[in-house]
Order: sequence, then C-alpha cells, then structure tokens
Amino acid sequence: MTQDELYSKLAAELPHLEKAQTQVKDYLTMRLPSADRLLETVRALKERLGFDYLEMVSATDWLGPVKPEGYIRNPNPIVFMAEGATPQSIPTATPNFPYRPMIELVWMLANIPEKIRLVLKLEVPREDAAVPSLCGLFKAADWQEREIYDLMGVAFTGHPNLTKILTPEFLQGHPLRKDYVHVKDRFDE
Amino acid sequence: MGIVIEKLPGITKGLPGGELLLTTADYFVDLGRRASLWPMTFGLACCAIEMMGSYASRFDFDRMGVIPRASPRQADVMIVAGTVCKKMAEPILEIYHQMPEPRFVISMGSCANCGGPYYDSYSVLKGVDRIVPVDVYIAGCPPRPEALQYAVVKLQEKIARMKLSQAGGASLQQERGSRDVVGGAAPQPLPGSETGPRIEVG
Repeated sequence: MTQDELYSKLAAELPHLEKAQTQVKDYLTMRLPSADRLLETVRALKERLGFDYLEMVSATDWLGPVKPEGYIRNPNPIVFMAEGATPQSIPTATPNFPYRPMIELVWMLANIPEKIRLVLKLEVPREDAAVPSLCGLFKAADWQEREIYDLMGVAFTGHPNLTKILTPEFLQGHPLRKDYVHVKDRFDE
Repeated sequence: MGIVIEKLPGITKGLPGGELLLTTADYFVDLGRRASLWPMTFGLACCAIEMMGSYASRFDFDRMGVIPRASPRQADVMIVAGTVCKKMAEPILEIYHQMPEPRFVISMGSCANCGGPYYDSYSVLKGVDRIVPVDVYIAGCPPRPEALQYAVVKLQEKIARMKLSQAGGASLQQERGSRDVVGGAAPQPLPGSETGPRIEVG
C-alpha cells in the first residue's frame, strides 16, 4: 500500500481526518479535529485498516519560548562560574513562529503486513489537558501515556494506573512544559 | 581486626622465610585493606561502560585486588560511575549505609563529581558528594579505564596512611563528608561520632 492509496482509503472510511500541515518525516500525517472521536478513529484504524501496532505516543508543548525559571539557577562556586551567571543562554522567541497555548499529541501507528506507518496528531488546550486513553486498544500505550502525564501533564481519561513514572514524588509540576518553574527540593540546597 | 592481632604469633609462624614478622599494626591492617578493595557492582550511566572495561581482561582490575562484589555487604568501595539522578540518590545512600566500614567512595566522571553537563537540569544531583563523602574524584567524561585504575592507586595510598588509633580507622573526611574539612587540619576523632566501631588494638 502506498501513501496515496492509504490517503484515499482514509478519505473514504474516516472522512473527519484532515491532512496535517506539517508531516512527521515522510509518513502520512493526519490531524484529528477533536478528542471526542479519537477512540472511535483508532478502533477503526486497528480493526478495519490493519493498523494493529502502536509505535509511540508523544507530545509537544507549543507555548512560546521556554521560561528560564525552569532551569536551576544556583551559581555554585565549585563549578567555575561567575556569581549570578546564567548557565545557558536565555531562550528567545523565534520571530513569526505560531506559538499557541496548545499541547499537540502524536500517535504513530503501523500496519506491519502492508509496511506502512500513519501518524495521528491532535491538539488539546494546555489548561486541564485531557484525552481518552488508548490502553484499552493497545497495551503498549500504558507506560508511554504515564510518561506524558508525568512530564507534560496531560491526563489520559480511562487509564488504569495514571501515576508518575519517571520523576520522583517530591518533584512538583511537569518538567517538559514550557512554563515549568523549578521548585527547589532537598537535593538542591 | 582484634582477632587478627591476637592470633598474630600463630599466623606469622606459617609465613615463609621466617618465624617472626615484625611490623606495625597500622601497616599490617592497611595492607590487608588496600590490597583487596572490592567494589560494589553497579553503574549509573555511560561511565559504567568504562568501569566494565576496567574489569575486563585488557585492563584487568583483578591484578590490583579489585574484584566486583554483588552485595554491598561484601564491598569496601563504591564506584559511583555515572549521572546521579535525584530519584537514584536514595538507593545510593542505602547502598552506602549497607556497606561495612571502613568504606570508600570513588566518584567517577564529571556527572558524579558535580553534575557535569546536566548541571542545569531539574532532575540531576549536582555531585554525589552532596549525599556521601567521596575519597577520590576522577575527572573526565567518561574517564578512561587507566584513570579509574589510577584512582584506585590513589585510594590505596590514602588507605596506607590510615591509623587504627583514630575513630574506626576512618579519616575525618569520611566521617564528615569531604566538603566540611578545612584544608590542612589535623585529623581528630569527632566528639560523639557514631560512624564505625572503634577498633580495639591488642
């Protein structure tokens, strides 16, 4: 199956999917208009179109440039750095870039017999971000969704065990969000 | 250790070339300690690959008496090889407390020394010496196996200077943590220190 064949098939079977503006590598990338039809879409892809392998779940925060408070600013005389020095250059906004308060979720599905991949994208607002969990369809989604919940703060509704997976219990906030502010813990002094 | 010194005449009888061995207790005990530095087997990041290379036949750590042990209860030295995440800090502390005294720590590589390239990260501990006292630091990212072996040589030199008459045979650095010792101060046993059993001589 080629990409064009897959695209015409999707247009016939799942007409609510649109082609995304930017595609992931050279895979066919489709955009979901809303989170409501996610489960229904993925189930149709899995059962009717043979996309029975979930390769990855990922997320991107499209808010403006990253906040410098997310870094640890603790000038340490033992590391050779001047007082008050900034360890990294402060991130600045890229001109004409469409920053928006949205989190974009990315799912990559594969149809192994047909040797083709499909990327699904969905944008949800950053505040109280929530999408349905795919755990019921793909067991592989379990830990990846927990990772996104931990680092990006997206709640996956219907997930059987939505708890932190990478960061320690005392870490507050979601570190990969662009507006993450680091709260000093007992190891930072 | 008291048993060794009590039974010393019996042991020296079997020594080749003489019936009597005349030495100081410090030298004898330190010899035993420094010639069999058994490290705890664990690695945290890419430095552990260099540590494994040191154990392998090309560099051959065995000839220095360094044999990796699978349990902290049998280990003398902890080689902190790699980035110490804050989540890993507690297990490292637990391993350190499970090791019998006297115990030594080698901090291997930039990450374990000071956080290294992850200094500005929210999740990385800025130096393992914030949680355990470190005896030898190795610079490098990662250090070569030769550097790790040189660190063991340096640690052996340090052990050779240990005195039984001081608390637990441990230096002040080991008791207090390396950053709290003022340079050049004569090592004194800490008042009220509870780290390590005092070794009875004679």
